[in-house]
Amino acid sequence: MAEPLALRVGHSGAGVPASQSGGASERQVIGSRIVVRDAEKRYGQFHAVNRINLDIEPGEFITLLGPSGSGKTTLLNLLAGFQNLDGGEILVDGRPVHNVPTHKRGFGMVFQSYALFPNMTVTQNVAFPLRMAGVDRATTERRVAETLEIMRLSDHANKSPSEMSGGQQQRVAIARAIVMRPKVVLMDEPLSALDRRLRESIQIEIRDLHQTIGSTILFVTHDQGEALTMSDRIAVLDAGRIVQIGRPLDIYRHPSNRFVASFVGESNLIEAEIMQKRGTTVTLKNRASYVFDAESRDAIDVGRVTVLVRPERIAIANEPTASSTPVTVTSAIFLGEILRIEAQMDGGDTLLIRCTDTARRPLPDVGDRLHVSWGPEDCWVLT
Amino acid sequence: MTTISLSEEPRHQASSNLAMKLKNPALLLLPAVAFLSFIYLLPLVDLIRISISGPSWLTYFQRVFAVPLYWESLVRTMHISVTVAFLCLLFGYPTALLIHRTRGITRALIATAIVLPYFIAILIRTYAWMVLLGRNGPVNKFLVSIGILSEPVQLLFHRGTVLLGMTAVLLPLMVLTIYSSVSRLDPGLTRAALASGAGPIAVFWRVLLPLTLPGIGAGFLLVFVAAIGFFITPTLLGGPGDQMFAMHITQQADSVTSEGFLQALGVVLLLITLLVVAIAGRFLGLEFIWGGRKLTETTAGKVAPAATSATARRSFGSAFADAIGWPLLRLFGMLPASCGTWTVRLMGGLVVALLILPIIVVMIISFSSASYLTFPPPGFSLRWYEQFFSDTNWMRAFWTSALIAAVSAFIAVGLGTCAALGIVRGNVRGKSAIMLLLVSPIIVPPVVLGLSLYTLFLKFDLVGSVFGLAAAHAIGGLPIVVVILSAALQNVDSRLEQAASVHGASSLTVLRLVTLPAIAPGLAAATFFAFLHSFDELVLTLFLSSAQLKTLPLMLWGDIYYRLNPVLAVVSTLEVLLVVGGLFLARPVLATSQKATR
Repeated sequence: MAEPLALRVGHSGAGVPASQSGGASERQVIGSRIVVRDAEKRYGQFHAVNRINLDIEPGEFITLLGPSGSGKTTLLNLLAGFQNLDGGEILVDGRPVHNVPTHKRGFGMVFQSYALFPNMTVTQNVAFPLRMAGVDRATTERRVAETLEIMRLSDHANKSPSEMSGGQQQRVAIARAIVMRPKVVLMDEPLSALDRRLRESIQIEIRDLHQTIGSTILFVTHDQGEALTMSDRIAVLDAGRIVQIGRPLDIYRHPSNRFVASFVGESNLIEAEIMQKRGTTVTLKNRASYVFDAESRDAIDVGRVTVLVRPERIAIANEPTASSTPVTVTSAIFLGEILRIEAQMDGGDTLLIRCTDTARRPLPDVGDRLHVSWGPEDCWVLT
Repeated sequence: MTTISLSEEPRHQASSNLAMKLKNPALLLLPAVAFLSFIYLLPLVDLIRISISGPSWLTYFQRVFAVPLYWESLVRTMHISVTVAFLCLLFGYPTALLIHRTRGITRALIATAIVLPYFIAILIRTYAWMVLLGRNGPVNKFLVSIGILSEPVQLLFHRGTVLLGMTAVLLPLMVLTIYSSVSRLDPGLTRAALASGAGPIAVFWRVLLPLTLPGIGAGFLLVFVAAIGFFITPTLLGGPGDQMFAMHITQQADSVTSEGFLQALGVVLLLITLLVVAIAGRFLGLEFIWGGRKLTETTAGKVAPAATSATARRSFGSAFADAIGWPLLRLFGMLPASCGTWTVRLMGGLVVALLILPIIVVMIISFSSASYLTFPPPGFSLRWYEQFFSDTNWMRAFWTSALIAAVSAFIAVGLGTCAALGIVRGNVRGKSAIMLLLVSPIIVPPVVLGLSLYTLFLKFDLVGSVFGLAAAHAIGGLPIVVVILSAALQNVDSRLEQAASVHGASSLTVLRLVTLPAIAPGLAAATFFAFLHSFDELVLTLFLSSAQLKTLPLMLWGDIYYRLNPVLAVVSTLEVLLVVGGLFLARPVLATSQKATR
């Protein structure tokens, strides 16, 4: 095992040789391009997946983010072939997959519950896909050993899954999913069963792994933080539809609607009335008669709108300034690196404010009056 | 989360419609359904046909109800059955609570004391009571020695012994049924109620009792239904005045002239049983028969009525507690708190003694040196073991039984495994109805089943054939296998199978590498219990075997009257050892299934 495991692809059926498609980095991309077109899945009257369209680039890390019942797991199951489409099609590298049974799709998959075979050792679990593909014994042994080494599991090779911790089990499951260097790896909430510290370290591990093996990864989660950290792109799902798809930064800063704004990150959604418009900048007035400027992507009609102000973008001061509005503190919590303050505006809207501890501000008391303000670049008008 | 199990979908889209249909696991139900249709439903239908084949369809039934002998026997049967069910409830509930409340080794011992007799043949347990209560038995000896009796008296052959014997035989069924509902209780509930200021009795009345009421109902009805069709125990322990209805059927079966009338007797017994089960099913859901959770139905709509009936049940429970409970509660509240605990311990202990002592006495007697049944034995000897193992008749019967049981277990496990796969994984309407068909042989009185099969066996010349008898025994073995294996299959993590499938395993490979290993312990247990069921079966065998084909229970049955010697005790001891060994092997399965229900 002297050679770095990394990138000897091109093994029997393990993937295409180094991709010529290039891309941002010089890593080898072996992943497939996945195209989902008008995909539909119904249960009686209920549309679990409602005409979803999605283009996934080869080697991309894409996250399906949404609450329970939003259809993200169903979409993953459709891709894996656990369920059948009721309409539309899914193309992998241009070929429709609906006639390909699950076991011939050649994907790797990681499950929330690890789904390790309890009657097999770690080695046997990881060797399973190779064994199914009829790979010869010597190659199997070599590939398994390599993969266990990347996942830092070499010491556990002969253990049974039940003797291992949750984090170790999930690393075994990941090893099993990547041992074939599959073009597509599906991950169904793989980190939900782990505690926070472990989750963060495995997040990074998966991210690095994605760089190394160059597969296309579809990652399902309901944890927006996880989605923001790991993904090339995030597809936010709600009620069986994709409501927004984009880079993490875009999703966070420029959510397309109230649902995305409130689901991804913490948010203040403020109702306001448009008073004036100058290009993409609008002047708004809220119920507390606080007048402020905001940016919006496209021209909007005059009327009532909802404005997103992220809690960390709100500036606070003890004395009023020209652009500030007074608020009354209703709760203040010290969270370590930040202060989390809830306050009420005069019009009745509540505001969530997060400010870093760098200001060495004393923790305000409930009932204190503070003065808050934000600039046009700090808010985003939802359409 | 939209977790959708594989069972809702054929595994993958097949290229053609036919191929898709052929891949539906529901097809696996076919063999078992066909088997039961031919050997179980068809004979029952035929039984009904013969019963109404008289000059007018009512003729035979009129005779059943016109002759006081039968009518009185019917009333007596009901009376005995209700009494037995009440006695079982009275003693069984505290025992179930006792198991629930004890921990560790004590719990294991008490549970074993209940489970072990449950799997020992009724014939043998009844025989143990005959030994215990006989003229030279320990009870008589004891009463004489402490001076209550001046000389041994006849304790057997009257109503009291019938009730005692039937209660003892059916108690494990009651305890296990109630325990399954007690064990599902969240232990936090009791603590929460205590913390909310309820005394121990209030906790029992307001929390435990209402929540376990379905279990109580199920236990009561299961015992009642079993008691209605009882035949072995009342025959052996009862006197002439204790004739139960099922006994008339076996007696009539010997006379050829009663064709039609005989079937009418069987139909009456069958209808009463079905009526009770139907009424019970109305309130409890028919799942009570197999003590199971509801099978996951594919359509969400079917879950709704179940939910409403559950709330109805719950509100009925609390209304019941309110109406009768509080006045009594105040009264009992004056008793010291330890009374409840001691009642439970005392009654539970009594039940354990009642179940275990007869078996122990029989085991001791099997090593007796005396040539008749007496306790305590005058000396130790293995002469009865020698006699058993050297007697060609006994040995032939033993091997016949073993052969029949092996064939029967093979049939039941083969058909039952397929059926369980079909019912859990198949995509088919009316899963509940199919499950009901598969497990319904449990509730049909064996006497009725034997009677109906007799006609079929005559027609196909199967009477006295090993295969015929094995198949007949498999009717009762099949439900056991289906219940154990569908529970095991439902506990298999569908994600495991998906994981295998996505990493390249075809459906058959998934079955071989993932599913079967996961249910292997269940499969072993099911095989053992199906074997045991056939090995112990007596009633069907009475109808269907011939003079040439004698099974072990049949030999026992024949000898019990005439030769009350310790050879029977030897057979009983061997049977107990068989069950102990089997339970020991099945232990991991029972442990996991307990974990699953919790």
